[in-house]
Amino acid sequence: MVKEIIVEPITRLEGHGGLRIVIGDDGKVKDAQFNVTSTRFFEKFCEGRYCEHVPRITTRICGICPIPHHLTPTKAVEDAWNVPIPTPALKLRKLLINAKQYSSHLLHFYALAAPDFLVGPFADPALRNIVYVINKMPDVGAMALKMMDFGQKLCAEVGGKSVHPIAAIVGGMKKPMDEDARQKFLKMVPEQVEFTKKTVDIALKVIEDYWEVIANVGVVPTYYLGMTNKGVHDIYEGDIRVVAPDGKKMDYDVHKYLDVIGEHVPAHSYATHTYYKPAGYPDGIYRTNCLAMTNCADKMATPLADEALKAMKAKIGTDPIHHTFAYHWARIIETVEAIEVIAGLLEDSDICNPDCKTLDIEPKEAEGIGITEAPRGILLYHIWSDADGICKKLNLLVATNHNIAGIEKSLMHVAKQVFEDKVLDGLKLPDPWIK
Amino acid sequence: MAVKVCFSQLSSCWGCHQSLLNAHLGLLDVLPALEIVYWPTVVDFKLASLEARENGEVDVGFIEGLVRTKQDLELTKLTREKCKIIIAFGTCACYGSVPGLANQWSIEEVQNRKFMEVESATTKRIPDQHVPGFVDKVVNVDDIIKVDAYLSGCPPRTEQIVGAVQFLLGQKGFPMNEKTFCEDCVLKESNCLLDKGILCYGPVTSIGCSLKCPNKGDPCVGCMGPAKNTSEKVQKLLDMTKSLDYISSGDKKNLFEFLSLFLNIPLMAGFDLSSDILKQIKKRGKPDTPITNMPSITTEIATNLLAFLAKHPEFHEISNVCQTCPRIVGKGTMTKVKRDYEGLPNQEDCFIEQGYICVGPITKAGCGGLCIKVNATCTGCYGQTEWVTDQATRFYKTIKESFNVDLSKEEFFTQVKDPIGTFNKFTLASNRDFN
Ligand code: SF4
Ligand code: SF4
Ligand code: SF4
Ligand code: SF4
Ligand SMILES: [Fe+2]
Repeated sequence: MVKEIIVEPITRLEGHGGLRIVIGDDGKVKDAQFNVTSTRFFEKFCEGRYCEHVPRITTRICGICPIPHHLTPTKAVEDAWNVPIPTPALKLRKLLINAKQYSSHLLHFYALAAPDFLVGPFADPALRNIVYVINKMPDVGAMALKMMDFGQKLCAEVGGKSVHPIAAIVGGMKKPMDEDARQKFLKMVPEQVEFTKKTVDIALKVIEDYWEVIANVGVVPTYYLGMTNKGVHDIYEGDIRVVAPDGKKMDYDVHKYLDVIGEHVPAHSYATHTYYKPAGYPDGIYRTNCLAMTNCADKMATPLADEALKAMKAKIGTDPIHHTFAYHWARIIETVEAIEVIAGLLEDSDICNPDCKTLDIEPKEAEGIGITEAPRGILLYHIWSDADGICKKLNLLVATNHNIAGIEKSLMHVAKQVFEDKVLDGLKLPDPWIK
Repeated sequence: MAVKVCFSQLSSCWGCHQSLLNAHLGLLDVLPALEIVYWPTVVDFKLASLEARENGEVDVGFIEGLVRTKQDLELTKLTREKCKIIIAFGTCACYGSVPGLANQWSIEEVQNRKFMEVESATTKRIPDQHVPGFVDKVVNVDDIIKVDAYLSGCPPRTEQIVGAVQFLLGQKGFPMNEKTFCEDCVLKESNCLLDKGILCYGPVTSIGCSLKCPNKGDPCVGCMGPAKNTSEKVQKLLDMTKSLDYISSGDKKNLFEFLSLFLNIPLMAGFDLSSDILKQIKKRGKPDTPITNMPSITTEIATNLLAFLAKHPEFHEISNVCQTCPRIVGKGTMTKVKRDYEGLPNQEDCFIEQGYICVGPITKAGCGGLCIKVNATCTGCYGQTEWVTDQATRFYKTIKESFNVDLSKEEFFTQVKDPIGTFNKFTLASNRDFN
């Protein structure tokens, strides 16, 4: 008899969906599907809107990472209309996107992933959540909350609202940071740096504990899609980089994205599967976000993060790193970079410079493309403007598109390991931190 | 006893939940009082666990998101069945938010853009396996089920959500005693307030409070919630509620409190509910009574009060964003409609009088003017203060009356190139002309 294992909804993951694993009578895994069951059609209803208002609409694509969804279409319109932005605006945007990276990565680590590591992946579901972790490890819980709070408050300060920011505008930013606010956040930095170091220690301990899992479960060779600023890790400025399963790195101008990325529309999901076009579908399925970014980068942008990257590469010993569980490690490396970038920008009084917007702007009939790295992967906006600056068409590639196919591929792999090779049975799991 | 709470997510961005989670340390105050029975993404419960609950077993259901898929439709109904009180959580659930803009097109046109036409799509098809299918037009949650409270905002501010949760916690565990407060009242033998023509809600309120307002000569405003029975003085109260037109200002204030405390209509707790009562009346011809299973005479009294409210919008008129905005009105004049990319507005004067369109005058207060603080115009994310279909004309009339605007209606509307996106950005799903 064919058996279907359905997990619905997928919890602790943004978006809507379910997993479906089909196992044949021979006990072989036949299919692993990720069914994304909702979509809201931003590609369509942005048509007819003012181009400069698209970034005030698309934030609503994702409440966890609205900042990249605010900045990327702004970059796309600036690309179309050929609008430069003043340096203070560039710094403010980098501060904003790194504040988001920081809080989002910590949310992911502490609220979404840590419960499994700290409580144990097979513990009672009612206990496997952040609330329980907070109750049982109040010090760690309070620290995690203070870190996320710092990131979100900084987002709110620079972006106007932490969820669905409004401060970026075609040509720059609507407002510089107030000097008082800069001082206030600057004072909080040392504590945050301390917290980040403690988080690194926790992560390293988890990695030790789960080394067997990391090294053996879900080691899946794929392509990786990320961005770099001439080879250096950057989440705001740069071009597309693809890493092949064998480690070959290929750089592409964002304007050439249609040659690089294809969208396969599966019958079983409202989120399309993006893939590396030259390799075709499904061979060109790639993975994105933190691990893809660290696989793409020749180096991190800041010293401590770069040291951490070197340490990961040395420990795992492969390049690129195909270990799915190394995502948690890569995420922490990016978190370190985020706090270092934040600290540097808060030191710089130029973020309070009122020269934060280009004043003379003329819309024109043209298309433009923008990319940034959102916490869950490359975000790409392609906008078509008419002569009045009205959006005629919009195409967007969001993190979910990139990740779903990769998740299916990892899921298929893990399902085979679990149901056919029974790897979990022989696997040694550490004692949970919380019992 | 912990209050059972469920969070259901329809098609949405998760931003409302993110806004709640942004309370971070503040969550520690409220979480212990809650028993979360369903909260995908945060807690590992599957849908079956909600289905398995008794009908009405859950105290409060927060619904985030709009009805875009057939699955959303089912989850909406299921949540209503299982919960005593339903809160439309966020602008998506209240009015559709930006995805409602898709109602300008047919579902076929909308689907085609995303799945068949986008430039990066290589395989093209409308997904139809293990996916739920779409409804033709985006509808609001209260088009499907009865909603007890509306918490608008995209997203609602963190403080508002926490306030609402705390408010509900204060409301729950109603003793629902057999006896009414009148039994406990020092004035019951002589000097009953009702006899003096003062509205006192003791005859329908549960006994057991510690404040005992009538001891100080103030009427009972019902904070203990409904009693299972009514006192012999109830007829007098009922008669008075039949002709409320001439009530004193003190009575009005108490009526206000009664509605919020007794009926769970938290007019003053950040819910901004009042205009929505009018909306309910408009939709169904009579107000919904948020608490059921009350003695019939109590329900009759409540209905009379709500009818009074419906007839007297001036009594509970909600303020708009302008009333929470510090900008100076009366200095400049709008002589041309400027787009947001043009120049940079100064931070002191009203946007409208600098030529920019700010929909603050027709938008419900609640956010405290978040956008205005970072020098961005209000685009209306809390929903409108009045439910007319032609918001554009209402906007023009309002600014012509209250601001310096030197443009005829015709001039104004030829200069606004995207009236739908400008005046209905967050509420098109509530606009009867589009569904
Ligand atoms: S109301 Fe706004 S914040 Fe809330 S789910 Fe909808 S789009 Fe997201
Ligand atoms: S109606 Fe009010 S004043 Fe009169 S007896 Fe009851 S509680 Fe007391
Ligand atoms: S129109 Fe906008 S800027 Fe002017 S007072 Fe109202 S909210 Fe403030
Ligand atoms: S100012 Fe307007 S758009 Fe901004 S948060 Fe408030 S209601 Fe929403
Ligand atoms: Fe996201």
